[in-house]
Amino acid sequence: MSVPKALQTPLSLRLSSSAFIVIWCLIAAFPIFWIAVMSIKVPIDAFAPNPVNVVFGPKTIADGKGLSIPDIVIGVLALYFFARFCMRNLPQLVSRHSPLGLVALGWLAAALLTGLAFALIFVIVLPAVMQVINGVLGSFGNPVLGFTAEHYQAVWVDNKFYRNFINSLIVTTGVVTVSLTVGTLAGYGLARSGSNVAFWILIGALIFRSLPHSVLVAGYLPVFINSAEILKPILGENAPTLYGQPLAVIAVLVSINQPFTIWMLRSFFHNIPADLDEAARVDGCTHFQAFRWVIMPVMWPGVITTGLFSFLLAYNDFLVTSLLLDAQNQTMVPAIAGYFNRETTTTDQVEAVAAAVSITAPLFLLVMVFQRQIVSGLTAGAVKG
Amino acid sequence: MNWLRSTILAGLLVCLASGSWAACAYENTTTVKSLSAGFEAWKVATDAMAECGNFEAELDQEFRLKQPDAFAADPSLYQIGGVSNSTMVPLLNAKTIRPIDDLIAKHGQHLTPNQLISIDGQTWAVAMMVNAQHLMYRSDILGDLGIDPPETYEDVLAASAKIAEAGVVEYPLGGTWKPGFNIGIEFVNMYLGNGGDFFNDDLTPAINNETGVAVLELMGALKQYMDPEILVSDSTYVQQQFQQGKIAMANLWASRAGAMNVEAESMVVGKVVMASAPRGSVRPSSTLWWDGVVFAANMSDEEAEAAFQVAMEGLDSEMVSANNDLAVWLVDGYKPGALAAGAAATAANGAVPYPASQQMGIMLNVLGSGVPAYVTGDKDAATTLSDIENEYLIKAKEAGLID
Amino acid sequence: MKFRTFAAFVGPSMFLMLLFIAAPLISVFSQSFYVDQSVFETVEVEVCTPGFLTQTCEIEQRTQPLLDEDGKQIVNTEFVGWTSYRNVLRLGDAWEALSDLNWSSFQQIEFWKALRFTLTFTLITLPLAIGLGLLLAITVNNVTKALKGQIIFISLLPFIITPVIGALSIRWLFIGDGIMTAFLEWWLQRDIAMFAQAWTIELLMLFYRVWHVGPFAFVVFYAGLQTVNNDTLESAIIDGASRFERLRYVIIPHLMPLIVFVALIHLMDTYRVFEEIVGFSSQAHVISLQWLTYDFLTPDEAGNRSVSRASASAMLTMVGIVILLIPLLRKTWNDHRRAH
Repeated sequence: MSVPKALQTPLSLRLSSSAFIVIWCLIAAFPIFWIAVMSIKVPIDAFAPNPVNVVFGPKTIADGKGLSIPDIVIGVLALYFFARFCMRNLPQLVSRHSPLGLVALGWLAAALLTGLAFALIFVIVLPAVMQVINGVLGSFGNPVLGFTAEHYQAVWVDNKFYRNFINSLIVTTGVVTVSLTVGTLAGYGLARSGSNVAFWILIGALIFRSLPHSVLVAGYLPVFINSAEILKPILGENAPTLYGQPLAVIAVLVSINQPFTIWMLRSFFHNIPADLDEAARVDGCTHFQAFRWVIMPVMWPGVITTGLFSFLLAYNDFLVTSLLLDAQNQTMVPAIAGYFNRETTTTDQVEAVAAAVSITAPLFLLVMVFQRQIVSGLTAGAVKG
Repeated sequence: MNWLRSTILAGLLVCLASGSWAACAYENTTTVKSLSAGFEAWKVATDAMAECGNFEAELDQEFRLKQPDAFAADPSLYQIGGVSNSTMVPLLNAKTIRPIDDLIAKHGQHLTPNQLISIDGQTWAVAMMVNAQHLMYRSDILGDLGIDPPETYEDVLAASAKIAEAGVVEYPLGGTWKPGFNIGIEFVNMYLGNGGDFFNDDLTPAINNETGVAVLELMGALKQYMDPEILVSDSTYVQQQFQQGKIAMANLWASRAGAMNVEAESMVVGKVVMASAPRGSVRPSSTLWWDGVVFAANMSDEEAEAAFQVAMEGLDSEMVSANNDLAVWLVDGYKPGALAAGAAATAANGAVPYPASQQMGIMLNVLGSGVPAYVTGDKDAATTLSDIENEYLIKAKEAGLID
Repeated sequence: MKFRTFAAFVGPSMFLMLLFIAAPLISVFSQSFYVDQSVFETVEVEVCTPGFLTQTCEIEQRTQPLLDEDGKQIVNTEFVGWTSYRNVLRLGDAWEALSDLNWSSFQQIEFWKALRFTLTFTLITLPLAIGLGLLLAITVNNVTKALKGQIIFISLLPFIITPVIGALSIRWLFIGDGIMTAFLEWWLQRDIAMFAQAWTIELLMLFYRVWHVGPFAFVVFYAGLQTVNNDTLESAIIDGASRFERLRYVIIPHLMPLIVFVALIHLMDTYRVFEEIVGFSSQAHVISLQWLTYDFLTPDEAGNRSVSRASASAMLTMVGIVILLIPLLRKTWNDHRRAH
């Protein structure tokens, strides 16, 4: 099969574009790779001035903590196949096995299961297997690369980071669910109404989005702390103190993110032909019925993409969660910032790095799994300006 | 793959540790919560309080923002507050903390007078530790080069010149000069060391004078022996530079002294000596700080009693002897070692307590944001000081301190 | 759609936005015209504090606020008009510096210093981020299918990573003897301190921001490229359009709405730049408008805050964003009018 000459890529262009891609991938991944490397070394190695020492960790090896060549080979292979499974097979499995209309739940279950499987394979099964193999191999099985999981252990076990993880899970699930429910309704309404009111609502939302968050949040704090007193006349004795409540934070994050959500979803609904729901309305459906039975089945690509953006916002938020949550309900990001701002020791800092890598891991999984959905959702028109 | 074994071992240790939580003499039945800063000393103190049960500690880097509102709520969201001499000011001014003389009479006879903070005869807080910035230096380097331990900033400059010439470390001097609190305190220390006054009688600022200019010029002289990135370096950064052997001297907090001898982090174990803060023309260039607990006004007397008892259990000799080198404790049972020598010498040489007050809060803040402009060379000394004074005047007017 | 149905659809969203954004916005607006002042008295009291070994007791002049019968601080709320705005803008000093053509003393006024950085930061990162996104999208689109997934995955990493952590990870690479600094020193054979002067810190911040948001632009544009009409492309090829001409006359116009969208989001987010200032601790050299607001709001050790000036500076930030957005808003308005 011959490609028309005009479509053939000249060699120089091919070369320069592959060079560009390679350099970009290096720049994109390097900082993250580097903190991952730091997190598995003892403090002296992690902050060593010589980069070679940071990578190989002589002090870490000297302390008897390291990986041998077989460890590395098998570990990398296992990682590769795991990633491949997540990217190729998982989405299909989920869409096949989850009940209709509850795809989100299916994804949640899948994400949790994948995380568990990851922990099981890489924390329990592989180390045990490798210990046996290294023993058999003799000197070939001696460590060459410094590796210690002590910081992860300190973070997750000693400092009970799993609590922050659960809190993050609660807040993000809440934000994504509420944000999408409220946002799809509004986005649909705005897309189907050509009135000037709709236009001005959108412009108003844009202006709301431009308000600096630090001002908003500092404004909430005294109100939330005194909410029991303020709400007493309305709610009586049971008026809650909103400060520290995950629900209150969910409401705040949903609202802050509403402008973006409704803009995205509005342009997405714009691209669903209006004839579709009008036909349903001719058949006697109300607007809500048309939305429920005609629009909902076809809106998932856009909703998933918008949902991912909501997820990122909630998961990565620092300003709101650090000020409005108390210690018992603290999410992961402010917990990490706590490590740094406190009078830290170098060990604390490496632990914070380990925690930072731990935060990033779920995001990794998320993108691996959802990458295609992001692109297809955007392609389907979630953004049209 | 030894870490698998260590994981299991650690797991066992955790189980054992949680089994031995009956270190508290009684069982607390009232819910008690505390809000404090998050540094190590608070961590061990609140852990010890938690042994009594029904206790929740919030170690929060935003505590300064939260504390005034949280204690003003009725009932107060927290029973115990962790404060320092300066962060107690807003709580004390709003009277959202209570006098505790009756509780001390009942449950705190073992407290030494030195632990009590009293104003006009009423006791408002119980201190657990003192802190001060003082000189730390590498005895091996100074010894090799035949330099006497510096006693004044002139000595420090002379020693720095020699060390720089010998080229044994990357930078002779370290310093906590990050804009904000860190560099603000450096200025306050040196200014007080030279006997300066910050305010006139009517609370207008009085730093634009010879002493102020001298301090800035001293900072300019020190800067040439420091890391060019000195304006991002906070206590943790300086501590790390010490540990990695990059600097030979620095004025650093006493609570950081312990880190120099931590084997896992430090390459200079046993080589760092603690000495008095360099003397200014009047007294050492340092201020004495304390950290301690206060108790909310908006809670029932029963809760107050329970909270006080829990706090006393946390701040007992058992906790202190287990964490002796973590801080310069004021609690009975503390054995001052070589690491506390710097703080002790600084105090003995006549360093004054940090003059915490409403106006000093503003002054420290405007110094912290104003002084860096001189260090970067953007402004000369007189402009820097007069701009700082102007900024102070705006803030003090906003607060209602001056008309 | 009837208005009532419309209201039912957008109601919940409007309610949330009004309660959590519009209400604070109104209160911020009104606070910028008022200051809350306590009334202070000075009393002579004996104050005892811990020393190292012994307690020190001193008679001291203590300034303390007056309390009312309920034990609350007496607070006078005073209408100050534009005073807070004046204190933020310091127009007099700014004008004086400008008429002396003295740029450096103009840049010593915090607001103008912050505005200068915020504006240059926003306007420089905008074309860089969009350019990077476009370039990546076009190159990745031509990559063989087998590698596409992996490359998109890696490219998205800087975008999804928690901003606080992203900024810190870049900071570690460059601070002190971080490995990137060490590498640059080895390469250029000279001493380098990236955090010692304003322009290198600004460079790092620009780099971080483009690194962080470039991938967002990339994924949006990449999605847009999937919908390029192949017929148009083919007819362009038949007409003998070169590669560059195809890009210029077919692909870019097709992506134009997306470029506008990304620009809109980028302008708004970047004008509120904040994480970089904290993450790179650049306060001594460069500050941004949102950082200035945050700084006014942060209580000092004694609990004093400049709420009124913070509100004024927040309002000014908002006005700035709206001005930047006007061209884009006008375009949206025209589209809206044409569509209906």
